[in-house]
Amino acid sequence: MSVTFARVEPSIAGVGDYIALMKPRVMSLVVFTALVGLMVAPGHVHPVIGFVALLCITVGAGAAGALNMWYDADIDARMVRTAARPIPRGRVTPGEAAGFGFTLATFAVVTLGLLVNVLAAALLAFTIFFYVAIYTMWLKRSTPQNIVIGGAAGALPPMIGWAAGTGSLAIEPVLLFLIIFFWTPPHFWALSLYRSEDYARAGIPMLPVVAGAAETRRQILLYTLILAPLGVAPWLLGYAGPVYGAAAALIGGVLIALALRVCREREGHRASKQLFGFSILYLFLLFAMLLIDRIPGALFGHFA
Amino acid sequence: MSTVTDAMNEQERQPSGIKLTEQQLRARRARSIAIALALGAFVIVIFAVTMVKLGSGALSGDDYMRPVQTTK
Repeated sequence: MSVTFARVEPSIAGVGDYIALMKPRVMSLVVFTALVGLMVAPGHVHPVIGFVALLCITVGAGAAGALNMWYDADIDARMVRTAARPIPRGRVTPGEAAGFGFTLATFAVVTLGLLVNVLAAALLAFTIFFYVAIYTMWLKRSTPQNIVIGGAAGALPPMIGWAAGTGSLAIEPVLLFLIIFFWTPPHFWALSLYRSEDYARAGIPMLPVVAGAAETRRQILLYTLILAPLGVAPWLLGYAGPVYGAAAALIGGVLIALALRVCREREGHRASKQLFGFSILYLFLLFAMLLIDRIPGALFGHFA
Repeated sequence: MSTVTDAMNEQERQPSGIKLTEQQLRARRARSIAIALALGAFVIVIFAVTMVKLGSGALSGDDYMRPVQTTK
């Protein structure tokens, strides 16, 4: 019996490569929506505990990103959009990315559980599991509904933020979850419309690849028609003021108008790119307005 | 015997293990500093939360010194 050892080159990965593994842009949206979940929650959270909760959620999201890049290294190398990621570029080995991701995930969940509360930690663990095991390993390569169901992972951070602040859940964080859940399909399908060749080359069954551009445009409009009223719902249910309601209706109207333009577009991808860009702004504005809506109450409540 | 001595001399002349390049050394140093900073930040976080949860007077207050009441 002979044992052979593969020669492992010492790593040249820099700190920047490990930060890139954590998907900083996705992380920024996660931390922002989690912050809103934490801030709109009733009661008062000590700033240090709130900071630790957000830090753990951020690190947990980064861990999920690293584990996603570890598992998806083969398809990332075949897509123009992702070919420059640290693993396809040869800066980080898949094993290093997996070790990094698992370590961060463990630290984030355990720290959140010990220092903040167990419900928030359980939700964070479920989010990482859902994103890595359910979305990345299973749905992404097997069904065009991948980003619809997988979108639940991206929608959970406001619920984790709320749970970190209160130790419980209510209808309001579920509403925030639903807003992001129904925002994800039009956002990603708008992108996949003008990246469909990339997805086809990588063998990912995105909706435009499997069902065609016309069906994708129709589905984008359907999800946008559900999303826009959901964006106004916090005002309708009495969780936010009329200023929020009016602004949410206005940007929801813009989103529907852009989705209609995508539906009518036959040549080029101008409308799809506009919808993709505005969808990011839409979600940011919606959550920023929820935050602003709560600031006067929080301030007066604090100084009363 | 002489063969063993020759082999030992050969081993002493050759540097053992992997020799890192300048780029690998720089990358390792940067990673080590980042890990040290992350661990330092983790210690500060644990300390800060401990202070918040226990409170500044937790160990010096009256409750700590008060005898436990028992029922007859």
